[in-house]
Amino acid sequence: MAAAPNDETEIENTLRAVLADVLGLDPARVAGFREETPLFGALPEFDSMAVAGLLTELEERLGILIEDHEVDADMMETFGALLTFARNKALT
Amino acid sequence: MTALAFETFESDGRTEWLMRIGAEDAPAILFVPPLFEEMNRTRALLAAVMRRLAAQGFGCWLPDLSGTGESERDLGQAAWDDWRHDVTAAAAYVTGKAATPLIASLRGGVLLDDAAGARGWWRFAPVDGLALQRDMVRAGLAGVEWAGYAPSDAMKAGLAGAAQKEVAKLRTVRLATDAQPADLKVDGPALWRRSEPGTSDTLADALAADLAEWSRACAG
Repeated sequence: MAAAPNDETEIENTLRAVLADVLGLDPARVAGFREETPLFGALPEFDSMAVAGLLTELEERLGILIEDHEVDADMMETFGALLTFARNKALT
Repeated sequence: MTALAFETFESDGRTEWLMRIGAEDAPAILFVPPLFEEMNRTRALLAAVMRRLAAQGFGCWLPDLSGTGESERDLGQAAWDDWRHDVTAAAAYVTGKAATPLIASLRGGVLLDDAAGARGWWRFAPVDGLALQRDMVRAGLAGVEWAGYAPSDAMKAGLAGAAQKEVAKLRTVRLATDAQPADLKVDGPALWRRSEPGTSDTLADALAADLAEWSRACAG
């Protein structure tokens, strides 16, 4: 497991990289995501297998454990919601 | 013109299918595919790697595991040990037709390949059964249980308890984004995660080149 990222910018960069890798999106497009950019339900690439892939990759790259009960549509609804979730997980 | 053929083999009294790309009597490589939905998502990549190797003079073989692809059974009827048996039986069939194969397993396929007769093993992005099962359960968190697949409870239990086993002459390849140790890291996308099944020329080139080299190293 890679060293756990420990600052907010690093977590944000990791999240953008995972989204580009798992969803197969152009990194330039992901770089343009803002807090309010809708994700789950808005991107056709974000299907059920992609949810599983996103969670697993975030766990591996951020050195965190995500419990199934923490996962719902709200935490994946926007880039901002997902970023908040990732930061809370990685920094606490 | 690359030869393409569909052949059948017997596994435990069942008839299952094998796709072959390349000459029947060429040095053989038997591919063991990823499992469940990951198989669909990597099929184009697998075919691209097989075509590249066929062009270099290898005979590439890919079985449909019981209950998948051309198999006449439903997935719900297939047991975990049937899949392990299918890989062993396919290797024996290829040995009879051509020569003892190199086995190239991808993702969950690595959980099925150790009992087969082979001249060497090559594993790409290996995953243990528990992690794979976790992914499939998590796919259900977004509303689609097991991404639409319906394996039996016994199959799910077999998967959850499966880990890759040690084999002689093993080479392990992983994506550069994967932190776990490997003999080689390659750049490319995790296609088994992608909802649009596609392929990557970069990844197919890298995997085919490494497989060709490892196959020659395991020529026996």
